[in-house]
Amino acid sequence: MTLPTIKALAISEEVTVAPRKRWFHHAKGRQAVLVNILLSLGAITMLVPFLWMVLTSLKSPAELAQFPPTVFPQEWMWSNYAATLDAAPFGLYFRNSLVIATTHTLITIALGAMAGYALARIYFRGREAIFLAFIAMLMIPTYTKIVPQFLLVKFMPLFGGNDILGQGGSGWLDTWWALIIPGGLSASAIFLFRQFYLSLPKDLEEAARIDGLGEFRIFAQIYTPLIKPAIATVGLLTFQESWNNFLWPLLVTTSSDLRVIQVGLAVFQQLDNTQWQYLMAGTTMATVPMVILFIFAQKYFIQGFTNAGIK
Amino acid sequence: MEVKSRMRRTASVAMVALMGLGLAACSAGEADADLNPDEVSGEISLLTPIFEGSPGQDLLEDELLPQFYEEYPNVTVNVDYTTYGNLNEKLTTAVVSGLVPDVMLMGVGWIEAFADKGVLADLGELGLSEADLKESYTDEIVEAGMWDGNVYAVPIMLDTRFGVARMDILKEAGYDSPPSSWDELIEIAEATTVRSSNGSLERAGFDMMSLDARQAFETVLFSAGGDLFNADATEPTFNSDEGVAALGLMADLVNKYEVEDIGFTSTDDIVNPLINGRAAMGIAHNNLWTQALEADETVLDNLEPFVIQGESSGMFFGGTLATVANNSKNPQAARALLEFLSSPEAALAANEQRGNVPALTELLDSDYVQSNRFVQFAMENLDVAKREGGPAQWLEVRGDFAPAVQAALLGQKTPEEALDDLAALVQTSIDR
Repeated sequence: MTLPTIKALAISEEVTVAPRKRWFHHAKGRQAVLVNILLSLGAITMLVPFLWMVLTSLKSPAELAQFPPTVFPQEWMWSNYAATLDAAPFGLYFRNSLVIATTHTLITIALGAMAGYALARIYFRGREAIFLAFIAMLMIPTYTKIVPQFLLVKFMPLFGGNDILGQGGSGWLDTWWALIIPGGLSASAIFLFRQFYLSLPKDLEEAARIDGLGEFRIFAQIYTPLIKPAIATVGLLTFQESWNNFLWPLLVTTSSDLRVIQVGLAVFQQLDNTQWQYLMAGTTMATVPMVILFIFAQKYFIQGFTNAGIK
Repeated sequence: MEVKSRMRRTASVAMVALMGLGLAACSAGEADADLNPDEVSGEISLLTPIFEGSPGQDLLEDELLPQFYEEYPNVTVNVDYTTYGNLNEKLTTAVVSGLVPDVMLMGVGWIEAFADKGVLADLGELGLSEADLKESYTDEIVEAGMWDGNVYAVPIMLDTRFGVARMDILKEAGYDSPPSSWDELIEIAEATTVRSSNGSLERAGFDMMSLDARQAFETVLFSAGGDLFNADATEPTFNSDEGVAALGLMADLVNKYEVEDIGFTSTDDIVNPLINGRAAMGIAHNNLWTQALEADETVLDNLEPFVIQGESSGMFFGGTLATVANNSKNPQAARALLEFLSSPEAALAANEQRGNVPALTELLDSDYVQSNRFVQFAMENLDVAKREGGPAQWLEVRGDFAPAVQAALLGQKTPEEALDDLAALVQTSIDR
């Protein structure tokens, strides 16, 4: 084959390949546009209720009564926020929620990671049975656990005037203990941590052992720094669940000093009348910490969800 | 109606005068003859689904309780605020753990269950008799606090449901007064229903969907002359001919006369359709007045309450009653607080804060009642009002009513089938 023939072939190949490539790029571009349109629609669907909540919080009762409803407030009632804050001691409730949610998150990350690590990487007799027990716990509806959990808290020995057998007093009821300890660690957090630790290579552990590291240092210095997405994911989920908890704090406390933000919001939703403008203003304010937290942990959070397969 | 109202007011004034002599025995906010304030002492707890939020808390803790402490200086009250939505869980956990609050405020229809379980104190043993109470409240209201012939609760406030008409819309359609019979109700509802050219509903002639389906059915059932249960609450009677006729009317209003479509309004709507003119008539809660006052004062003149008139007069009432725990360590202090909370002054303040209907007949002439037309109307017609509840299992079965009513409205079952199936379900619970 002569050189001009090879060149000619190459040119003819270019000629035939180029439209195919262009077609491929065009198809890819169209696909990307389609995906973006679908994702934008999804994002709008998610955002609209949030925006509606904020806009509702800024309307007057008269405007809320209008039909068809207005989209943007005719008069921006920023005073709804001040009135909401006056309707209940939200500063105190906010502080309580923050203390409880932060403590739950820290306990969950510290103990949940240890438990997840043990279940994933340490071989001991009964490990599978314990793991299955955790899986079984995931399937128990929260409501069915409330009464037994309440009784455990009430009959806690040597607390709240109880004797060693848990009789005679109120145990942990109406104390920070009742708000923090029962919700401090969840089976789902341990499950998620276990899945993350399982996904890490065994070589690291072996190398660490050869270097003379003990179990705790392998956990704390080798593996745990590699699961930052898991820590962010579990941390955010725990914080969110704890922040939104309503029933348990209501049941185990009697003093207003220990009530949380969700209990405060219930003030606006009475049996036969809901003050929507204040409820929405309160909910908007209650959402802010979660949004801020998500903005900061967004990168890890998405990685965590992708790795854990819980999209 | 005006004459009737005036007669009732005159009668109530006379009653107030009589009660000035006799009521002190059961309420009135003064120390009972049997209770010596200096001898009543102890720390007691109060569980309340009312007085919520800062305004409610301020009213209770800054205004009412100081008055109580003035009278009973040796008593301390610890208040636990909750919501009606979670009162059942709060009470259930309190009962199973044995830490029952000394004084509990709960709803109409709740007393039976907790009295049956032995949680509540027989107030007769603490000195409050049925006869005493019936001097101050209508019979039906007193009976809402009774179980098995004994008094377990004293009413504080009532929530009522009755018919409400938008008179501006009715007048446009050529009607000068609200309906006085089911036939008229159908006629006016049809005349005031508005649909667009494509058939979609723009204004309902009669709205039944913006309140709980169970309570809507109960209101119509009472207007048909029916009852939920037999006299000793051992058998359901809501599936009687009257019940079938009531649910039949509701189903016909939707499916035959088409005066409202399913989903046109809901209990979650931001505003009641009577306020923004999306309905010409409907069944509404007495707090519609305060809602309208807040949303659009101009509509108040056009809102006319009416008792739904069928074979009987249909008005529904629920409410909040005060009870004392059976295992209270300080029963006399608990009783003193119960009497204080149900006294005219405290009850009036609590009702005013929530826009509700005072249970005490003597409060009809109070400024608050006279300033709120719906509350005044409710009080003037309390003698025809009926309550829900009856058997001890009421709290278990009441949630089954709405699906049964909805099944009939959707045409999935005939009214008879829907009510018979529901009655079988309720009977099983009662017999269990």
